[in-house]
Amino acid sequence: MPVAYPLPKDLSPATVANTASLLRIVALALISGAAIASRLFAVVNFESIIHEFDPWFNYRATKVLAEKGFYEFWNWFDPTAWYPLGRVVGGTIYPGLMATSGVIYSFLHAINLPVDIRNICVMLAPGFSALTAWATYMFTKELKDESAGLLAAAFMGIVPGYISRSVAGSYDNEAIAIFLLMFTFYAWIKALKQGSAFFGTVAAVFYFYMVAAWGGYAFITNMIPLHSLVLILMGRYTNRLYVAYSSWYAIGTLSSMQVPFVGFQPVSTSEHMGALGVFGLLQIIAFSQLIHSHLPSKQFKTVVLGSVISIGLLGTAAIVTLTVRGSIAPWTGRFYSMWDTGYAKKYIPIIASVSEHQPTAWPSFFMDLQFLIFLFPAGVVYCFKQLRDEHLFVIIYAVVASYFAGVMVRLMLTLTPIVCVTAAVALSELLDTYIDPQEPDASAEVADVAAPSDNASAATPSKKVKKAAAAASAAPSNPISDLVNANAPAKTKKASKSRGIFGLDTRIAVIFNTTMMLLFFVAHCTWVTSSAYSSPSVVLASTNPDGSQHIIDDFREAYYWLRQNTAEDAVVMSWWDYGYQIAGMADRPTLVDNNTWNNTHIATVGKAMSSSEEVAYPILRKHDVDYILIIFGGLIGYSGDDINKFLWMVRIAQGVWPDEIQEPNYFTPQGDYRIDDQASQAMKDSLMYKMSYYRFSDLFGGQQATDRVRNQAVPKVGPTLDYIEEAYTSENWIVRIYAVKKEDPLGRDLKSANAFAEGKKRKRTKPMTRRRAII
Amino acid sequence: MRLSIFALLSLSLGLVAAKKSPQEELTELAAAGNGVIKVTNERTFDLLTLPSRNWSAAIQFTALNPQRKCKPCSEFDPSFTAVAKAWTTVSEPERSDHFWATLDFDEAQQVFQKLSLASAPVVHFYMPLAGPRGRAKDTPLKYDFSHGFEAGPLAEQLSSHTPVPIPYKAPIDWASWAVYAAFGLFFLVTLPLVAPFLQNRWVWAAGSIVTSLIMTSGYMFTRIRGMPMTSGGQWIAAGYQSQYGQETQVVAAIYGLLGGSFLMLTMVTPTQTSPARQRTQVYVWTAIIFVVYSILIALFKMKNRGYPFSLLF
Repeated sequence: MPVAYPLPKDLSPATVANTASLLRIVALALISGAAIASRLFAVVNFESIIHEFDPWFNYRATKVLAEKGFYEFWNWFDPTAWYPLGRVVGGTIYPGLMATSGVIYSFLHAINLPVDIRNICVMLAPGFSALTAWATYMFTKELKDESAGLLAAAFMGIVPGYISRSVAGSYDNEAIAIFLLMFTFYAWIKALKQGSAFFGTVAAVFYFYMVAAWGGYAFITNMIPLHSLVLILMGRYTNRLYVAYSSWYAIGTLSSMQVPFVGFQPVSTSEHMGALGVFGLLQIIAFSQLIHSHLPSKQFKTVVLGSVISIGLLGTAAIVTLTVRGSIAPWTGRFYSMWDTGYAKKYIPIIASVSEHQPTAWPSFFMDLQFLIFLFPAGVVYCFKQLRDEHLFVIIYAVVASYFAGVMVRLMLTLTPIVCVTAAVALSELLDTYIDPQEPDASAEVADVAAPSDNASAATPSKKVKKAAAAASAAPSNPISDLVNANAPAKTKKASKSRGIFGLDTRIAVIFNTTMMLLFFVAHCTWVTSSAYSSPSVVLASTNPDGSQHIIDDFREAYYWLRQNTAEDAVVMSWWDYGYQIAGMADRPTLVDNNTWNNTHIATVGKAMSSSEEVAYPILRKHDVDYILIIFGGLIGYSGDDINKFLWMVRIAQGVWPDEIQEPNYFTPQGDYRIDDQASQAMKDSLMYKMSYYRFSDLFGGQQATDRVRNQAVPKVGPTLDYIEEAYTSENWIVRIYAVKKEDPLGRDLKSANAFAEGKKRKRTKPMTRRRAII
Repeated sequence: MRLSIFALLSLSLGLVAAKKSPQEELTELAAAGNGVIKVTNERTFDLLTLPSRNWSAAIQFTALNPQRKCKPCSEFDPSFTAVAKAWTTVSEPERSDHFWATLDFDEAQQVFQKLSLASAPVVHFYMPLAGPRGRAKDTPLKYDFSHGFEAGPLAEQLSSHTPVPIPYKAPIDWASWAVYAAFGLFFLVTLPLVAPFLQNRWVWAAGSIVTSLIMTSGYMFTRIRGMPMTSGGQWIAAGYQSQYGQETQVVAAIYGLLGGSFLMLTMVTPTQTSPARQRTQVYVWTAIIFVVYSILIALFKMKNRGYPFSLLF
């Protein structure tokens, strides 16, 4: 049997197997290390800090859990959020994340490791990413083999599409959810393969954990039934499927209903009806199969078939009727907007306004997945070639997730695991083919060379034949190659004679090319992670002229100012993006926050921000607002500021008060969004504009003031404020805080009171001029 | 003398006209125009927007003359007319509390100038200033076209200001239903013929792969955002967060070619029995992967200027 390169002959199969499994363990350990290490850029470049917006709430809730215990946390009513409404936190969150950190915290303290709760929260996501890599390994192993599993684990460990949501400090539900997702799917595949109620139960338990951790659990709730349905439609119903699905559905649904936030949704909303329907369908099919196997009579079979079909129809009709009558809630807006893509913009602007709910352009796909994105279809083809039950799962997952990822940037996260898996399968198949030392039988090639039609290429192959013959004589029979052959289940032993690669140079060319692509991928991932995904966004970094790093810490500066200088019950109004941060860092009551459960309340804030001072003042006073906090990037060019978000405030306010706030009024007659002299009157009068540009032009000492985000000249004469006054402006003007004035003690309108105060000053100066006139 | 008689005559004529209240006059005009008052002079406009009005009015400012080349105007006009026509089915006391009017630029240019309108189409909604629905401020509401030019959103938005909700119902689109039915029928008839194709896994494979290629090349972005295929001769949109329709096709083709090359290397090349041919294939596909990958990186660099890596280009 010819081989392309010699292999050691004196190794026993046991040694090979043991070395292989040791190498696998080492590789997995190294992959975990790489996965954790690449997520630490954020800590190294900045510090151990909680990132962004939502994590601040999770962190605050975890602190409550760690300090007061689980029951306190469960019953926690937070009066400082959504002032004056408050929020029942225990019943409106997915507690899985906090519970996980709480358990780790208690465990570490129990073994006398007094770790700060903040460090646990910061390091949770990197830690779980190592587990995700392992779960991906297990999942891919079921599809192909261990080597594909290792590749998939390595991809999953460093792929930016997953790092983007799991860097150190990104303490969000997704941090643990992707591990749970992959592990649930692994357990499902395993249960389906073995018809095992045990693995079905494991899948159900992890499904419950997932439900407790992330709203995205609906993806599992629909993926598994969809997979089962496709299997049934393809005529692949087996008792294994029945056992796996029934054990997963029954235990998973019952346990998921224990999460207060989910409650009775699994039996009362449309998102979960698919799972219930497939469950019913499986029971009917199983029943009819049972009858089939026991009753030989043909007529009786027809009766059974008829009754089974009618039961199915009745069940469907019942579900439809219940939906129409409203007993089963229709699709929620968030879910619905994924099918009808224009829906959110029309009816729920608050969902459309979130940047991670925007559709995905191709550069984002490439940035997040790099060369995996084009190996992905190749891997899907491999799955079609095999087409076992688990490959069908991968195919369905691939198609569904690529659609969702295209509709919403955020759902790139659910696409990433399957892209890693399929790309690893495709690449491992390539490496298997080209590393395999066996060459095809010489007889086949000699026959081909002997054909007279191929004279031109006859010279090279004959050399090749010699070489191959030499190689064959050097290693007449090789136990290792037999072993390798036996280890590759994809190839049949007979076919391997005619199928394979000739020569060493071809192998080296392909493997070198592949290795280089893998190295490039590593470089890409490192660059993306360090430059794009590791910014805490609470602390900003810029570069000094000499190349050193300059840290912009305006947010914390301003939040600590609030914490130190204002009354503990002072209500702070800001756009909802900053609600969690104010609560987490400044510890002050807020009107609205990132929970966005009450559209009207948010619209009220939007209305106050986009109306004139006179209109806004009663709203502010009615809500006991003491301070208004805005983000302004015009001085240093921070583009994520409130003026750029302003149109969403207007849109959301318009949704509730269409006759008071109208979006077109905030544009110039030409339809531009401007902040300079040409800005529309409504724009110039709005509280947001006034607060942003108040005293801004003074900063430029008579020179032309320019907004560096919008690159427009700011009017020389800035806006004046009557009802509020500037309280604090941070170093780079990113955060500006205004205090709302109390009503005038004399009962005057604040505007006329101000005019009176200014008028008094003018009177004082008048005698001066008169005197001058006399002289 | 003759002049004064003439003045007297016209005054009496005016009196006769004035006997009809403005609302009745408008009702007549509306009835004549099938629900829409055609404003051809400033007087009718002033009548509609009388400071003492106890009715509301939705006025469409448009420019339907083909010379004006206002495509949105001709797109929007049928929607406005349809909604106005729906209003004629409202029963009497409410019906004449609200009027629909259309005002063409070429017929009442002076009104456009008076309101300093520079673009069309525009819909102004004049709230009543007297009566039970009366408002204090006489500034018209402007209809927001962000939901498109369709009649549905127009009726829905204006319904919150009209005395009763506009009874507009979208006409049933028989044509598209017929097309769907025809397709369904066609499918059922040809089912025995296409069944072998539907049971072939490679048909499904092609479908799944084309779907995922298109989706991962940003097709949904171009659809949701309504991006054009190309714009101003450019087929690459500037910026990382944007793309044109052409880019979807090019990128999907590149992904397909690269993925296909890998498949050739793993599935087709090993079955080749001639070493020479196989070697050529291996090198050709490896070269294709390298070159096309370089092109892809170059393309990505155009979108993301700060990207530090490059291969051939």
